Amino acid sequence: MKRSSWFTSRFEIINAILIAVVSLTTAFAVWRTNVVGSNADDENRQGLIDAVKKQAFGNEHHRKVYEEAGFAYQFAVKQAEALALEASDDSAAQERAANIQQYLLPNMQLLAQPLATDEKYQNADGTYDLQKRLTDMQNAEEDQLDPSASFARADSLFAEQRWLVVGSVLLAVSLFWLALAEVSNGRLRTSGFTIGLAIYLLGILWFVGVELIFFYTRRGGS
Amino acid sequence: MNEPILTQHQQMENSDRYKNLIVVLTVFTTVLAAVLAALQADANIREGVASRDSQYLAILASGELQRAGLESNYEFSVLGDYLQNLQEGTVLELTALEQETSGKEDAAQASREIAALSQARTGIGEKFSILYTDPRYAPQNDDDLPKAEQYLTDIFEKANEIVAQQNEAADEYHNWDRKADLYVTALTIIAMAFFLFGMAQALKDARLRLTFAFFGIVVIGFSLLITVTTLLS
Repeated sequence: MKRSSWFTSRFEIINAILIAVVSLTTAFAVWRTNVVGSNADDENRQGLIDAVKKQAFGNEHHRKVYEEAGFAYQFAVKQAEALALEASDDSAAQERAANIQQYLLPNMQLLAQPLATDEKYQNADGTYDLQKRLTDMQNAEEDQLDPSASFARADSLFAEQRWLVVGSVLLAVSLFWLALAEVSNGRLRTSGFTIGLAIYLLGILWFVGVELIFFYTRRGGS
Repeated sequence: MNEPILTQHQQMENSDRYKNLIVVLTVFTTVLAAVLAALQADANIREGVASRDSQYLAILASGELQRAGLESNYEFSVLGDYLQNLQEGTVLELTALEQETSGKEDAAQASREIAALSQARTGIGEKFSILYTDPRYAPQNDDDLPKAEQYLTDIFEKANEIVAQQNEAADEYHNWDRKADLYVTALTIIAMAFFLFGMAQALKDARLRLTFAFFGIVVIGFSLLITVTTLLS
């Protein structure tokens, strides 16, 4: 009875202090939510930068492969031409074939390397394996660029931000009940205070829970 | 002697009237603002993700278009080369026949040799061209041309698919961007409600207080209307 009287007489001060604490917690929760959102935006930005870099590598590889393919095709054409000249009965044509094979084809082959020089790129029918050349062009730096990994991290951070916002709303709702208790009397005051305190604690638990769940989810995923 | 004290008491009661109602309305507005902020944050997140997807798909589409362009350029250059050599070979064979008929044996021999070169080049072109090696595009008869249009449709199919996905992502971005903007509008209107409830709280006259509170409620109603319609759209 004595204790109850002590609480009742100081209720407004206790509740005011609690409202201040809840306000500070809400401010912290909003700050943390924004930090998580900002980190998600950073991951998105990184993912897009990686995507541009990866695409630039891809574009350059394709350009180079088709440039090499063009030279290799010209080499194959000239080689066939030389063989046709060689097969001719005309001695002048045979001399031309010999000169082409001796002076022109080696230079054209150099220009068409590695397709025309490396056997691993040559198909049985005399054409070239452009896909294999493209695969071999990919380097370690390019392999490290993984935009989808950055996007997955961003999605996870966005999901966390969403749930943290729910926590912030809970804290705001607790402010509502505590403020209601401050202006009420009797039983309404007690119930308002109890509900406000309960929602505040739930909000805190929610916030910590969300942080822990996403922390371990990302740790497990990485 | 007691009369002035009573009047003062009545005045105090009058000035305190509806104060609790205003506080409750203010706090309710706070909660509403928090919920709206949550909805706005969610819309912003979705807008950001859609914007990112749209940009990423645009990058992929441009890369795919470049790849398809390079590949088709190479293929059509080989095809052009092939057709030129084929026609050159035919023309030279015809020339050789004409020269043979008119008794120019040496000239006919020379023409045949050049025709053989053209035919050798033609053989390579045919082997290197996807339009002659792939059964999807290769001509069915000797007189037919390859199905170049089918080849172009197929080679740009992936790029077109990516562009379609990019358009969807861009539409989604615009949708969430519009929603996020509307939530900001609703939040701004709620700020007016805060002002009106603040005025109501500060005023001593009960009737004025109620008037401001009424307009505050109207403003909240308007904000709620925007929120609900945005949420359902």
